[in-house]
Amino acid sequence: MLRSDRWLRRALAIGVSFGLVVAACGGTNPTASPTAGPTAGPGDTPAPTEEPKTGGTIYMLTQAEEFDDIDPQRAYTGEDLAFFGSTIMRSLTSFIFSTDAAVANTLQGDLATDTGTANATADEWSFTLRDGLTWEDGSELTCEDVKYGVSRTFANDVIVNGPTYAVQYLDIPSNPVTDEADANSVFLSGYYGPYNGTGQDLFDEAVSCDGNTITFKLNQPVADFNYTVTLGFSPVPDPAGHPDLEDAGEQYTLRPWSNGPYKIDEYTQGNGGHLILVRNDAWNAESDPIRKAYPDVWQVDFGIDPKVMDQRIIASEGDDAFAIQYGSIQPENLETVFSDPETPNADFATRATSDFDPFARYYWIDTQKIPNVKHRQAMAVALDRDAIRANLGGEYAGALGDGVIKPNLGDQYAETGMWTDLFGQAVPDTGDPDFAKQLIADSGEPMPALTWDYPQTPVRDQEAAILVASFALAGITVTANPIPPGQYYGIVFDDEAAHEFGWAGWGPDWPNASTIIGPLFTDKGGWNISRVQDQDFVDAVQEALAELDHDTQAKMWQDLNKLAMERVYVIPTTFGLSQTFGGTKVQPLYQWAPYGSWPYAEMYVTP
Amino acid sequence: MAGYIVRRTLGMGLLLFLLSLTVFFLFSLMPADPARLTCGKACSPAVIEANRHHLELDIPPIEQYQRFVGGIFFGRTFSQDSPRPIECEAPCLGYSFLRNQEVLTMIARAAPVTFWLAIGGFATWMVVGLTFGIVAALKRGRWQDRTVMGIALVGYSLPSFFIGLVLYFFVILFLHLLPNPQWKSGMPFKELGGFFQTMLLPWITIATLNAAFYMRLTRNQVLEVFGEDYIRTARAKGLRERTVVIKHALRAGLTPIVTAAGLDLAYLLGGAIITENIFNLPGLGSLAIGSVLASDLPLISGITLVAASLIIFANLVVDLLYAVVDPRVRVG
Repeated sequence: MLRSDRWLRRALAIGVSFGLVVAACGGTNPTASPTAGPTAGPGDTPAPTEEPKTGGTIYMLTQAEEFDDIDPQRAYTGEDLAFFGSTIMRSLTSFIFSTDAAVANTLQGDLATDTGTANATADEWSFTLRDGLTWEDGSELTCEDVKYGVSRTFANDVIVNGPTYAVQYLDIPSNPVTDEADANSVFLSGYYGPYNGTGQDLFDEAVSCDGNTITFKLNQPVADFNYTVTLGFSPVPDPAGHPDLEDAGEQYTLRPWSNGPYKIDEYTQGNGGHLILVRNDAWNAESDPIRKAYPDVWQVDFGIDPKVMDQRIIASEGDDAFAIQYGSIQPENLETVFSDPETPNADFATRATSDFDPFARYYWIDTQKIPNVKHRQAMAVALDRDAIRANLGGEYAGALGDGVIKPNLGDQYAETGMWTDLFGQAVPDTGDPDFAKQLIADSGEPMPALTWDYPQTPVRDQEAAILVASFALAGITVTANPIPPGQYYGIVFDDEAAHEFGWAGWGPDWPNASTIIGPLFTDKGGWNISRVQDQDFVDAVQEALAELDHDTQAKMWQDLNKLAMERVYVIPTTFGLSQTFGGTKVQPLYQWAPYGSWPYAEMYVTP
Repeated sequence: MAGYIVRRTLGMGLLLFLLSLTVFFLFSLMPADPARLTCGKACSPAVIEANRHHLELDIPPIEQYQRFVGGIFFGRTFSQDSPRPIECEAPCLGYSFLRNQEVLTMIARAAPVTFWLAIGGFATWMVVGLTFGIVAALKRGRWQDRTVMGIALVGYSLPSFFIGLVLYFFVILFLHLLPNPQWKSGMPFKELGGFFQTMLLPWITIATLNAAFYMRLTRNQVLEVFGEDYIRTARAKGLRERTVVIKHALRAGLTPIVTAAGLDLAYLLGGAIITENIFNLPGLGSLAIGSVLASDLPLISGITLVAASLIIFANLVVDLLYAVVDPRVRVG
């Protein structure tokens, strides 16, 4: 009896503890769309306090257990792109390192000598490589290596995830095999990638090398294609020119070759694991005006408990003085580090930042299940957005959103008027149940009962309660449906399993709303959880993508953002803020705008 | 005895088979779609279908299970029609497409960490639990007994995540008595000092809860034995009290404790999720929680199978030991 009781207690204890850990870990952003995005902080960026020094080790502490992907064709997380792009994985173009967000969002040549040259119709782009580019074995990095890297994106049988802009934009016919019974139907294009080789001539016509110049022929005008090449267009050694390298295909992500100032010395995934980067002696600094390469070593420590991580960096003792946080400060420590959401306390003045993160948070609404726009408007109007934000942490959590384009996207953003006049009258931050009831009455149909899907964390459990209560005031019945975070997107993308609306977040792939509006509200881009099928909207997106004049295009995105809000494809909640910090002996510590990351390429340790 | 061993071993085999069946289908029925999870951001129905084929999820579940079991005994090849097939030699517990590694490789890397954590924690709690439990029994009703039972009550009441965090914050971060724990491959044979610095607090964390339990258990067992007739007989024969306690009371009283300890150790070898996470130890517990959070089904299945096998094996060993100690068990 004694043992039975004990085993029962132990099972319960483990179960509860397990639940707590799961919930705590889910508290970090569980979205499967962690992407790059421009940021411009509401807080002042601290100025570096020391002259840059060469040498030492910078430690990165993270709760994550591994990087999503280091393969140049698969890396997609903004922080990962920023870190590896600054250390081992150069791209044709990249962004300027600057504390000024407007400057930092500016493109510059990286492997390429400049930001590329387009023809008059922007459907053909050329980039010329710099002289003296090398791989970590000292061999020359050639145009063929860039071409080979791009070709891997087409190998859908081996490279199973990552950005697919190459497939989307290059002028290569789609796969003629559509019968699912045929194994070749897995390919997205008529070119099956370098491992299979089918359609190689199609690829060679679309991507060609002439000496050091690589040319891309596109299937449509892409005015910002030189931004596109920051994502998934990085080189991989062409086996033909590098016989010593066996392209490990899918497992290349575990040990990619470096063309930057560092190379991988050790990579052990999991809790307690490390990624250690050491100097790449073959790197030619003269070919790289961007990366300063100050520290001798970068060490990433995986699986650090976030509470422990915060305390280590606050204490900043020993090696932790050279540590930076790869994540966010825990809510309970914000008052220790900041006096308000924009201002660090004196002890953290030069080592803490509070800036917009890349994400706009919103609730998607399945427009096929809720086709009546008045119903969707009623949902938006009924929501107590102020309480939702307060539950997330108040002003530290961010600003109330009015669309899916954040203000830090510069000229792409304009107020949508969603909460002022878009629905005919102003909507208070706390919601307007009476107005919601009126909209339901105007719809001519009864409001259906709703279910809200969300990736479960303790905070979102409370968010669900707030949502249900505020909708109830407007007579809308909502059932909250918690889903384990790891399974969330797998479920909500399933037409059968998903319910009427749910939680989501999104950040752009580069500083242009072309990577927001299209992916979220059309089937191209793969994040159309709202299941929008409005042809007029799709046509308008295509028109905007083809617009070569930047100012005109920006206005078109503004209008589409407003139209999407008028139709309430989503209900925007917050434009998120992120607070993070580092140790006392590492500088400069500011959030680099293009990816909302640390400025890795110019970081150094101080004595 | 031989017949008993054969029966029990066959039973274990059957149990393992049922376990593998349950684990496989239980996780196959989970609502998570691995094809979607490995799809990343730039996802489309076509990519999901490609992934489903790549992950061999487009074949009937029965065939998937056959391949799973076949892989354990004969090895298997993943992505067979891919130009880059992945060979997984027997015993193959699966392949994690999220981490691009064989499941067994990851388990083999994590197992030594959990092994040393379990052994150290086990030794600590057994020494502390038995010693103080015996003292409490011998000093029943006196201040020593009350003190030990008070400590046991407190220790038993504190959850391991609380103990771990308190130890971490005070011993490492505020008092700087130890460096941040950092497990390195090759420990403890390499960097013995670093090994003890890394494992000391995790051992204490694990041992606290268990030691408290074993204090109470030991005390109760010894006191129960003290009430037996043969102890009274031993005393009546005029044996010294020391001999009565050590030779007669403890020997009989500790037998069920050792049996329980064997099962607890096996349980711990399956991974100590909380402790490993707090102290950043790359053991099986950490691997398990990471796989669950990522819905990495092959890894979850592999770890569950290994951990459950350890428990089943430990049960077998315990049963056999019982059979040796108590012949009635063999015919029961």
